[in-house]
Amino acid sequence: MKAFAHLTATELRLLSRDPGALFFMIAFPLMLLVLNSGNDRVEIFLPSYMAMILAIGGISVLPGIVATYRERKVLRRLAVTPVAPVALLAAQFAAQVVMGVAGSAIVVGVGVFGYDVEPPAHPLPLLLAYALCSAMVCAIGFVVAALAPRARTAELFGLLIMFPMIFLGGAAIPREGLPEELRRMGEYLPLTHAVTGLRDGWFGTPAAMPFLVLAGVTVVCTAAAAALFRWE
Amino acid sequence: MTVIEVTELRKAYHGTPAVDGVSFTVEQGETFGVVGHNGAGKTTTVECLIGLRRPDSGTVRVLGMEPARQRRALAQRVGAQLQESELPARLKVAEALRLYAAFYREPDDWRAVLQRWGLGPIRGKSFGDLSGGQKQRLQLALALVGRPELVVLDELTTGLDPVARRETWALIGGLKAAGTTAVLVTHYMEEAEALCDRVAVFARGRIAAVGTPRELAERTGTGSLEQAYLALVESAMREEAR
Ligand SMILES: Nc1ncnc2c1ncn2[C@@H]1O[C@H](COP(=O)(O)OP(=O)(O)OP(=O)(O)O)[C@@H](O)[C@H]1O
Ligand SMILES: [Mg+2]
Repeated sequence: MKAFAHLTATELRLLSRDPGALFFMIAFPLMLLVLNSGNDRVEIFLPSYMAMILAIGGISVLPGIVATYRERKVLRRLAVTPVAPVALLAAQFAAQVVMGVAGSAIVVGVGVFGYDVEPPAHPLPLLLAYALCSAMVCAIGFVVAALAPRARTAELFGLLIMFPMIFLGGAAIPREGLPEELRRMGEYLPLTHAVTGLRDGWFGTPAAMPFLVLAGVTVVCTAAAAALFRWE
Repeated sequence: MTVIEVTELRKAYHGTPAVDGVSFTVEQGETFGVVGHNGAGKTTTVECLIGLRRPDSGTVRVLGMEPARQRRALAQRVGAQLQESELPARLKVAEALRLYAAFYREPDDWRAVLQRWGLGPIRGKSFGDLSGGQKQRLQLALALVGRPELVVLDELTTGLDPVARRETWALIGGLKAAGTTAVLVTHYMEEAEALCDRVAVFARGRIAAVGTPRELAERTGTGSLEQAYLALVESAMREEAR
């Protein structure tokens, strides 16, 4: 347990030294919020940006880090310590969760206190949707890390999956403004359901569907990553 | 007490044998050298000792355990330095030592290890910014921070300058005085002569000869370990050519 706490603290520290992760998970969402603050309904952006922050971290930052650990034999070195290399993957997941919460807290704080957005109507369903979204994007990230042969390809695959997800899924821009075909495509993306779940929790009526989709995708991706992951 | 017992170890990659029937034992407190040409099977052999590779056949016992099955339990008592491995580029030297110290039940004081290995002046440097020799020194310190009973060091002084190499010899000498068993893979015969009680000369996946540096020199009718090594490896190569 002590080893895992140290590993997690270390992963978090390393993540906070990554300028790309810092910018895209903290500064960039805040920038978008400020740019959209003239909108009549600022509240619609908060659930979206939470999903966007999580997706950037889990789907595009995480696979690059994990694949680099494999390529540079960091995992192999850890395999000859009393700590299992899987602990490093768990620590990376935990660090992503903390980083995601930090980025979300800043955006939500500025929205609620700076732009007078009403606090969430259904905090518990919102929290559940958030937790499931966080687990799901990291599970997707681990599948990418498992499939990519090299660190560079993991980074590329991550970006190629993350960008369509946040734009078509309503995380970067609201889906209401998308053309009909693109909006329909978005329905097949798991992140869309995360945004729906988060919105429902904030200002809508929570329904079971988004939770089931997020949980299902998380389970399937975790199983796939566990089956496909190569340690070296 | 026998710490390492390897019997008829075999390991092939894609049908090509890398280790082809290797047997040896290492006693407690002994410093055992592994030398041999590039591709002789040294790394493959020592990676079987620490459970990173699973033998195709033969038996490997280390501290009474079977490495391929009990890798993590074994790792609590064995420190390893791999021929090729890195740390996260943005991890700092002191952070790495502190982190690795947290992995073990009864670790050494990581600050003392930092000083002992001359890493004090670069404690705040990121791994990615270290020179090759500095990286190597940090890897050695990480292998020892858990206060292991056995250390397995694969090319421990490759990339070190002559002064750093001699400093490392002194530190390994200290380990030996403290009763730590060591397996050292090296390409420097001078180093094997200075540190090792016995040396195994690997050639083409087998052990061509094993003995004290003096025995090997006498057996080959040469004056030094270096000469003995050249004679043994060359004769193994001639056999292959035939
Ligand atoms: N992962 C691998 N896949 C395929 N072949 C391998 C692998 N690892 C080693 N080999 C082959 O096995 C043989 C023995 O390799 P090994 O790394 O054990 O040699 P070594 O004695 O440590 O050499 P060096 O002095 O160059 O480090 C070599 O021919 C090498 O090409
Ligand atoms: Mg080698």
